[in-house]
Amino acid sequence: MIDRIGEVIEASTTRFRAQREELDNPPAFGSFVKVPSGPDITSYAIVYNVYETSIDASRRPMAMGLTEEELKAQQPQIFEMIRLEFEAAIVGFKDQGGAVKAYLPPWPPRIHAFVGACGPEEVISLTEDLDFIRAINALPGLPTDELIAAAVRVAYQNRDCDAEFLVKAGQEIAIMLKEEYERARSILRRVGHVG
Amino acid sequence: MSDKAADRRILGQITKGSLISGLQAKLSDNVDIEDVRIGTFAVVDGDRNRFFSLLKDVSLASTNEDILLTPPTDDFDRRVHLGVSTYYELSLQPMLVAEKDAPGATPLPSTTVPPHFSTVFEATPEDVEQVFGKVDEFHPSVGSPIFMNPTIPVCLDLRKLAMRSNALFGRSGCGKSVLARIILGYLMQTDAFVNLVFDMHNEFGWTATSEEGGSVDSLRKLLGQRVAIFTLDPKSPLYGHGQAYDFEVQVPLNEIRCSDMELLGAELALSQAQRETMYKLEERWGEKTWLARFLKLEPQEIEGAAEELGATNVETLKVLSRKLGRFKKLPFLKEAVSDDTVRRIRDYIGAGKHVVIQFGRYNDLLTYILVANILTRRLHEDYARDTDAARAEGREGPTPLIITIEEAHKFLDPSVAGSTVFGAIAREARKYRLVLFLIDQRPSGIDDEILSQVGTRIVGKLDDERDIDAALSGRPNQGTLKVLVNNMVERQFLLTGYALPMPVVIDAKEYGSFCKEMQATGGRVRGELERRKLELTGDDELEL
Ligand SMILES: Nc1ncnc2c1ncn2[C@@H]1O[C@H](COP(=O)(O)OP(=O)(O)OP(=O)(O)O)[C@@H](O)[C@H]1O
Ligand SMILES: [Mg+2]
Repeated sequence: MIDRIGEVIEASTTRFRAQREELDNPPAFGSFVKVPSGPDITSYAIVYNVYETSIDASRRPMAMGLTEEELKAQQPQIFEMIRLEFEAAIVGFKDQGGAVKAYLPPWPPRIHAFVGACGPEEVISLTEDLDFIRAINALPGLPTDELIAAAVRVAYQNRDCDAEFLVKAGQEIAIMLKEEYERARSILRRVGHVG
Repeated sequence: MSDKAADRRILGQITKGSLISGLQAKLSDNVDIEDVRIGTFAVVDGDRNRFFSLLKDVSLASTNEDILLTPPTDDFDRRVHLGVSTYYELSLQPMLVAEKDAPGATPLPSTTVPPHFSTVFEATPEDVEQVFGKVDEFHPSVGSPIFMNPTIPVCLDLRKLAMRSNALFGRSGCGKSVLARIILGYLMQTDAFVNLVFDMHNEFGWTATSEEGGSVDSLRKLLGQRVAIFTLDPKSPLYGHGQAYDFEVQVPLNEIRCSDMELLGAELALSQAQRETMYKLEERWGEKTWLARFLKLEPQEIEGAAEELGATNVETLKVLSRKLGRFKKLPFLKEAVSDDTVRRIRDYIGAGKHVVIQFGRYNDLLTYILVANILTRRLHEDYARDTDAARAEGREGPTPLIITIEEAHKFLDPSVAGSTVFGAIAREARKYRLVLFLIDQRPSGIDDEILSQVGTRIVGKLDDERDIDAALSGRPNQGTLKVLVNNMVERQFLLTGYALPMPVVIDAKEYGSFCKEMQATGGRVRGELERRKLELTGDDELEL
């Protein structure tokens, strides 16, 4: 059973949008999430966008000049009007046999499917094959450089900060971008900045 | 035989190359570049053939120019780019090739290159053996390939060595004399060749001094009576305490020719006029008597002599008298000698013994050049006569003789090489069963034509570019060999030429272990020697 962090409200083969019921603890940029996509298939995706919007599209929120604490005390209804949504790009899936693949699943998730956070084992098995970096790089219209760096950092932290993994991932990036040395360097700088 | 690829340490994979310029390989990711060393003996496994090669260069390469403009700054960056954007390239020179599934086959010169992505391995002891053979009496080990276990032998083919003149080059202190002792010791032990050593620094007799100042056993101690010691300085402290010399060398003045003086040109600083005067003396007073007579002239007699010679400058004669006067101080130069040294040398070598001529305290160049030249000239005459006679009668000629000289460039520089006996011996190759073993620090001083006659070259550390070029002149793959020589240290030698299937850089055998080897075989050898001596002479005339 998925430990729910959201529910799909819009889906396509490559990405989906999900809504979260509470405003606290939004999923982090670059974190790995999972969602069922068809019979016995779990898709894995990387969060690339998180945003808060007004429930009522016709009413724009206004600046109030109060701190969050003051707002909560004086205008609690405001928070009822806000909802939290996030978008994730699908980078792989677990097939019926339990094998993890770093490419797109045959079907998108269904609307109203529950989205869960991936645990360390899932992150590790999904990122074992460094092709996940290429999968991210191939996503159109996204801040892929930032996303690659963030995903690599998450995968690294889920591996108890294995420096060897970080170097290998860095090399994968360098090979992938061998024609774009400066771009590779800038991603690597962001990858290298881990605690 | 550990021939399975799994037992071998992989160095890299071939990426490009040619037979002439050599092969390029990408260094394996798991090999530390700082462990890769030039001169390493490596093999490349093609599909069917194994290529025996020498590692001649290591270089840094990159897949992308940009990385060179903005190199990685931190450690993470550097580690990422290593092996991805940057890599290391090995340059190898293939030398010999043998079929892989014919273990023990004699490798032949390489006529092609291995295919792309062939694996490069570090050579194993089996590879060294396949190329350089097994140790036996005529193939002694003189060292081991550098960076390999010192017990792995590189064998020198003594029969081939003795067929041509050879040279051992290297700067002072690089271990020439020690290696020469080792090689001569093995040559002597075979009893197939005889040796005459002009031992300028008294290192080839009973003992030699080691770097630490101690004394180590030398040829006489190791080989016993098969080595005879001739000396110019019987009063030298070298002898005594049971370490006797066998014969006192005396050189009769009547054997010194004007042409011998040519070799001493630099030592005596003779001017053209002085040399012409000397020839005039020889012509007027006779080849055999001129020097004795001239040395006996009192100062007041010089003017009279100048008149007698006619058109001779008195001053020139005076200077010449002063310069040649140095000979009067050499006690072994005599008007009349009690025994003929060359005959004695012939007796000993005729009985299969080796002769070491020691100079004692007279180890200056003047004496050395003069004596070596005079004795060798007569020996050469003898050998030429005997060889020709033997040939005419269909007999085998005299035992092949190897003459070792140090400071070889003094005997073979281009201005004298054409006229001296040493030049003649080197050029005649083995016609008269005489070859040279040249030891020298300054190969650039030796005439090119002589160098081209040298069969096997043993090259130690040399500092001067010209010396390195001369030492390797005319060798195939000279560029590669030069890199190797540039990277050697003391006691390492490049062996190349006739007595070796391919060039190799060795760590010379530790002298102590050579001595132990000789002592271990000494008993057998001495017994054998007694037997042969009886066979050869039939009497005990040579009992010493
Ligand atoms: N193979 C060796 N084993 C042990 N010691 C060695 C060896 N080679 C050299 N040495 C040490 O190095 C010292 C110098 O070597 P050696 O006398 O052979 O130099 P060299 O090249 O003949 O120098 P030079 O040109 O001055 O005569 C030796 O006295 C010896 O102590
Ligand atoms: Mg020496």
